[in-house]
Order: sequence, then C-alpha cells, then structure tokens
Amino acid sequence: MAPLQRRALYGLVFGIVWAAAMAVVFVLKGGVSTFTEDQGFRLIIDGLWIGGLVVYLVLFVTITRQPAKFDERDKSIMDRSAKVQWCAVILSLVGWVIGLTESYWDQGIPPIFMYIVFMSTLIVSTVAQSAGILIGYWRMNRNG
Amino acid sequence: MVNIKNRIRRLRFDNDEMTQEELANRAGCTRQTIIALEQGKYVPSIELAFKLARVFGVALEDVFQYEEDT
Repeated sequence: MAPLQRRALYGLVFGIVWAAAMAVVFVLKGGVSTFTEDQGFRLIIDGLWIGGLVVYLVLFVTITRQPAKFDERDKSIMDRSAKVQWCAVILSLVGWVIGLTESYWDQGIPPIFMYIVFMSTLIVSTVAQSAGILIGYWRMNRNG
Repeated sequence: MVNIKNRIRRLRFDNDEMTQEELANRAGCTRQTIIALEQGKYVPSIELAFKLARVFGVALEDVFQYEEDT
C-alpha cells in the first residue's frame, strides 16, 4: 500500500467518525434551535469542525512534502480525486437545497442554515478527497 | 489499454539485480511506482522516464517502447 493510499484510508475512517460525531453532538444537544441560541454549543461545533480540518491538513500536507513517499503518480491520483470531491459537493448541495426547500417552504429558510450548509460541504469535500484517492489507486491497479 | 511497454524488470536484473527500492531511490520516485511501471499499470512522465533511463545508463527507447495499434 502506497503511503498516500494509507493516509487516504486513515482519512476516510477518521472523516466518517468525525462527521458522525458532529452529527450526533448536533442532534443530541438540541439541533438548529440550540445552535442558534447557545454560543457555547456553537463553539463546541466550531471546535470539532476546525479540529477535523486540521487533522486532514496534517494528514495530507505532511505526506506531500516527503519526496520519498509522494511522487508524480501519487500527485496525479491526488489531482484526479478532485473529480470525486466535486461530485460529492454537488450531490451534498443538491440534497441540502431539496431538503431545506421542502422543509421550510412556508416559513422561509432560517439564515443559520447557511453556516451549517457551509460546514457540512467542507466536511463532505475533505472526506470525498480521501475516497477519491482510494478510488484512484483502485482504478490504477485494476486498469492501469 | 496502455501501449507503452517497458523493460525495467529486465534492466534491473541486468544491473546486478538492483532492487525496486534502490531504483526508486535513484530515480526519485516511490517503490510503488516502480511496481506499477513493471506491471504496465502506469506510464511515467517524460522526466521520470529519462531519470529511469539515466539510472540504467541506456537510451530512453531501450527502456520504453511504444507499440502501435494494429
């Protein structure tokens, strides 16, 4: 297993745990209404969010700066993972648009959702990058 | 299907059975890339191709051959 492939696997596992943890904390603490009113809760979510992003940054930036572990083949796979990221982000946004429109059609969408949509989109994007890298290795090993 | 073949495995053995790790270190790539090259699952950049040829001390076309579709 290539070093970047191993990092992507760790990133995917971490990303799933991270996203699930954020969703569980968000729901158990009261959801959107608490998020709107309670600054302490918002700071917890911010901390979890930024902490996860920093973990991703460390996972991938450190490997790309080691020439012995990251070469042109890894870079091409990493570059191609952007396609998976785009698809995941677009699907996520489509889901949010449809979900929010149908849920809040009568009363109007609360502005706080802009913040939540942005956070979730970044989470989806980072997790999808790991998935895209793993798909890239799998496809290269299968098809060449 | 990739129709660029290479003789990296053969050249490694002709050069005192050079290991994949050693070739990777000398060419500036990872061992996984050498494995992918030998299995015909990756076509390198021109730069890496020249580096590999230089490690073996041969011309580029002695390492890589382009096969036309028939």
